[in-house]
Amino acid sequence: MSRRPMNAIGRSAWRRDGVAKVTGAETYASDVVLPRMWHARVLRSPYAHARIESIDTSGAEALGAVCLTFADVPKVKYNERIVSTPPYLYRDRYVLADKARHVGEAIAAVAAPTEALAERALRALKVEYEVLEPLVEPARAMRPGAEPIHATVRLADAEVPIEGNIAVARTIELGDVGAGFAEAAVVLEREYVTSRIYHAQMETKSVVCRPEPDGGITVWPTTQSIHNTRQLLGEIYGLPLHKVNVKRVAIGGTFGSSIQMNSVIPICVGLALKARRPVKLVTTREEDLYDHVRYQTTIGLRLGVTRDGRLTAGHMRVLADIGGHNIQAYPLLSVMAGWWASLYRLPAMKYEGRAVYTNKTPSCAMQGFGNPQVSFAVESLMDELAEALAMDPIEFKLRNYVGLGGTFWGQGPSVQSIIRSDGAPELLRVGAEKIGWSARPAAGSATGRYRRGVGMARGFHTSSAGAPKPGEVIDYTGALVKINEDGSVDVVHAMMDHGGGTLDAIAKIVAEELGVPADRVGISPVDTRTTVYDVVTHATRGVYAGGAAAQRAARRAKAILLDYATRVLGIEADALVIEPDAALGQGVIHCPAVPDKRITVGALAKLCQTNSWGSIAAVESLRPVHCPPAFVTYFVEVEVDTETGAVTTTRAAIGSDCGTVVNPDLARGQLEGGLSKGAGYALYEDARWDAESGELLSRGFWIDSKVPAMSESPPLAGLETFFATTWEPTGPFGAKGIGEAATNPCAAAYANALANALGIRFRELPITPEKILAALQAAR
Amino acid sequence: MLTFTNSHLLLGELDYVEPASVDEACALLAEHAGEARLLAGGTDLLVQLKLERAEARCLIGMRRLPELRRITGEDGLVLGAAATIRSIARSALVRGRYAALQEACEAFSTLQVMVMGTVGGNVCNASPAADTVPALLAFDARAGLRGRHGERAVPLDELFVGPGRTVLHADEMLESLRLAPVSAGTGSAFLKLGRVAADIAKVSVAVRLDREGEHIRDCRVALGAVAPTPVRSGEAERALRGQAPSAALVQDAARAAADEIRPITDVRSTAAYRRHAAGVLVQDAIRRAWARAGGREIR
Amino acid sequence: MRRMIRIRVNGEWRELSVAGNALLLNVLREDEGLTGTKYGCGIGECGACTVRIDGEPVLSCLTLAVAVDGCEVQTVEGLAVDGRLDPLQEAMLDTAAVQCGFCTPGMLMTARALLDETPAPSEQDVRDHMKGNLCRCTGYASIVRAVLEAANRDGGPEMAPKPPALGAPRRSRGAPRTP
Repeated sequence: MSRRPMNAIGRSAWRRDGVAKVTGAETYASDVVLPRMWHARVLRSPYAHARIESIDTSGAEALGAVCLTFADVPKVKYNERIVSTPPYLYRDRYVLADKARHVGEAIAAVAAPTEALAERALRALKVEYEVLEPLVEPARAMRPGAEPIHATVRLADAEVPIEGNIAVARTIELGDVGAGFAEAAVVLEREYVTSRIYHAQMETKSVVCRPEPDGGITVWPTTQSIHNTRQLLGEIYGLPLHKVNVKRVAIGGTFGSSIQMNSVIPICVGLALKARRPVKLVTTREEDLYDHVRYQTTIGLRLGVTRDGRLTAGHMRVLADIGGHNIQAYPLLSVMAGWWASLYRLPAMKYEGRAVYTNKTPSCAMQGFGNPQVSFAVESLMDELAEALAMDPIEFKLRNYVGLGGTFWGQGPSVQSIIRSDGAPELLRVGAEKIGWSARPAAGSATGRYRRGVGMARGFHTSSAGAPKPGEVIDYTGALVKINEDGSVDVVHAMMDHGGGTLDAIAKIVAEELGVPADRVGISPVDTRTTVYDVVTHATRGVYAGGAAAQRAARRAKAILLDYATRVLGIEADALVIEPDAALGQGVIHCPAVPDKRITVGALAKLCQTNSWGSIAAVESLRPVHCPPAFVTYFVEVEVDTETGAVTTTRAAIGSDCGTVVNPDLARGQLEGGLSKGAGYALYEDARWDAESGELLSRGFWIDSKVPAMSESPPLAGLETFFATTWEPTGPFGAKGIGEAATNPCAAAYANALANALGIRFRELPITPEKILAALQAAR
Repeated sequence: MLTFTNSHLLLGELDYVEPASVDEACALLAEHAGEARLLAGGTDLLVQLKLERAEARCLIGMRRLPELRRITGEDGLVLGAAATIRSIARSALVRGRYAALQEACEAFSTLQVMVMGTVGGNVCNASPAADTVPALLAFDARAGLRGRHGERAVPLDELFVGPGRTVLHADEMLESLRLAPVSAGTGSAFLKLGRVAADIAKVSVAVRLDREGEHIRDCRVALGAVAPTPVRSGEAERALRGQAPSAALVQDAARAAADEIRPITDVRSTAAYRRHAAGVLVQDAIRRAWARAGGREIR
Repeated sequence: MRRMIRIRVNGEWRELSVAGNALLLNVLREDEGLTGTKYGCGIGECGACTVRIDGEPVLSCLTLAVAVDGCEVQTVEGLAVDGRLDPLQEAMLDTAAVQCGFCTPGMLMTARALLDETPAPSEQDVRDHMKGNLCRCTGYASIVRAVLEAANRDGGPEMAPKPPALGAPRRSRGAPRTP
């Protein structure tokens, strides 16, 4: 429901960086080439757990390489993701490791004139290790007497001890859980195991760093946050921030893997400073596979429900395997509680989360940050409860879901807001129609070799980490909007666009606010020196927070413009409107009541210049004070070959409530991409580790770390996406987020579809043909 | 101990030569005693070099020898060793008559790998999961080898010694693959299961049936990724030969094949799954091949 | 071993001195400054490095530069002619098939090869041909739409004759690039 006809928002157009991307002209970090530039390589631990006894760099130096070891790097312990506020920021790493905590951990690095020479130098490094017991699985890491992976970590100004390799734990209890379960007619308790999947972003982590003559540095990194990268580099290398300039370059996919400053960034900076020349560090795919994964979790979930389908109580126990470093375990445990509390109303709930260090690749956020895990468990169990109650799952969920007027935890208990727009019922109704929900077979009733089933799951993601008061999470942003002397507009915004179209949406929001044609609004190339702070493009906050900041700046620039218009037209600013004129390629300022008084934005801006009145520009900072949920609903139809266990996605209907749809074509792309990654999570992907060596079974090669390709996506005729007709009153032009919501409930929809097709519940991801066949054989 | 490889680069120094003839290639192999490798499509060899699972000082480029790229139909089907997978998949000589081979080539990894990869490379790489090999085994392929000391022909099922190992001598190369002629009553099929469509086989099966009336006069049942080398199932073939196909017979043959193979559990699948799925694919492939041979539906 | 080779890159003959172990991907990106072709995995699993050699879609990360001596090489930079986008490039933008864009060059080269060979592909043809090009953003549907749409346009009467496959202007050699 749009409040007024809109000119830019809701219209599809070529994305602003589109021509660059289809012609190969776009510059990613790995494409940056500088004069005198050297190339770097990183020595990575072959052991999962080892003390570093010594590093001999003489062989590498004899080849002309510059070497960096623990001895060379500042002894600053940091956390690479500075999104949590300082009291909640667990810092446990240095630029290069003091001890190897996972296979692939960076131990030393070299730079040389060519990558081939750097590689030779790398192999000339001699490292002696004292190998420790690899604590690859959580059970082993938590065993009494196990070697501490980190003896202490830094929290605020203190070193705090780590007991039993538990990095952090969090318990939340609301209401009388005992009484709630006592009231229930049906109580089900199940355990869900989610897989540890690799982000598989197309571009490997890359960075170029150039030391500047003034002692500063310029950095071109793969990152989701240029400002946080800058602050961390300033802190680690003791540089004032005005001498740390981080450039925004295009990023080849990320999905959460670059919320934190990538480990190679400060390594490259250290090498460049030592070598006194530009250095480029592009990781190989085999290194990247050892660099980041989605949090693996084991979730015990117990839910109680009355005979008439009202939830009475819930108990969730989460064990998260975080790998060798704590990137964001505390916020993970917080948000997982929040996603759970916000899916369905629970009069009483108990949440117990623990995050355990293991000798594996550090885990980090991946599209949904704990939400795909929670949604898999909750949406599976809700489906099972509906079956136990002989209720339609849609009816059961609508009876219990947190909707309009309810409280939404956008980023754990400290980030809450009241839901003001709610498209969930509409999404369920429309999706059910599109997939033919009412005609789906009874669970397990299908016969024959090939069996079809339909499953549904719903969920959401937050739009930003905004809240009325400061909490555990930093969230603010800003923008500069500048009306040029010909009436075109520059938007200067520090936010990253991962490809989803965030910056195009921001440009459209500015165009809409100013009343100029959208194609006259440009997005400026930026760096940290020329922009005000933005925390990071994450938490589905790009359009909602980033767009709102740009809208606020545009509004103020417009006020300045209209003041000048009053000077020229002699009409009160409040009586003036600006509307785009596509033929003129201009916004036209006029007063509907006085038709002969009009001037284009370009003509007025030119007058401002020639009369030396001044620039028409405004910079604004914005703290979102709400975090509206972007609802999403998945209906998936699968076909199972019961002889081989092979699963085919035959149809899918994905609905999104993102409020006003700003980029319709790219919003569809978010949902279709969410399906592909969700299907990968549900059916295909799993980064598995050898429990003894701590090596990846894939050995870091994509050959054995498969993600869905074009062949795995459903036929176009079977794929439908649709949008709820909602308006978010707190969002820019009624918009909220979409990105992470797009994938969150997908795996649960697959599990429910398989349960419908086969009458078998799968509670461990990924649901491979091997598991399906074993379950079918066990059921026979 | 794990070594991190660098897939950006080929690390070792390399000489590259393109011989003008097969004889010259053999001479080069001998000259570089053990340090030269034949390079065809590169989709296996260059990966192995990058991942440091193979070594070479000299690569002998074979892609541009026209005689090695040829596909001819004299007395069966002759595939030059450097014939690309894609050229075989699209050859009019293959279509229909050698359906299992065509299907194996179409199921081969990705378009780019089909364009680059060659049948000779796929065979000599000697992977237990090589897609073309079960199909070639089904058509009694004989490997034409040429070395400095002359030529010899080796039945394909005697070529493989183990994973990555063949009976080829150091100065010997695969020149061609000769497939047996097919008759009007011949039908064949290839089936494969991977984790995704573009994948190394978790298990693959090729079946060839020669129909005579209602009976199977002769047959081949070959499987991939279920033993150290691609294998024929003699038991399944024995069960089928001379019989009139029935549901029970097909099941017996599948069971015989599943019992005979030696699958393992690895990162791609489990031994139990492979054993079961191999039986399923054998049944499916027999039914398809029989239909293509003009046989009546098996009940 | 270093050797002089001649290759025709996007329509222009180039004489290059390359090492025996140099990969075409790195020669294009580093020596020729054609950074549109991407490294994704280095072992032929992702398709991001796809270029066309004598018209065929080939993995440049698994191709020795010396082995393409005398060949035509087309990269993504060679698709647009005199600043005019190829219909496939336009269709990719029209259908929003470009998100992060890192897979896009490889997708374009594989798809262009398909359309040149099969002007009216079916949806299944597109999927079979392009399953070797991974994309993590789009879920592929918009890319399938783009290729089918481009096929319509290629054959459409309103389209000008298709420009020659090769012959686009090229960037200056090895120029430093700072955004």
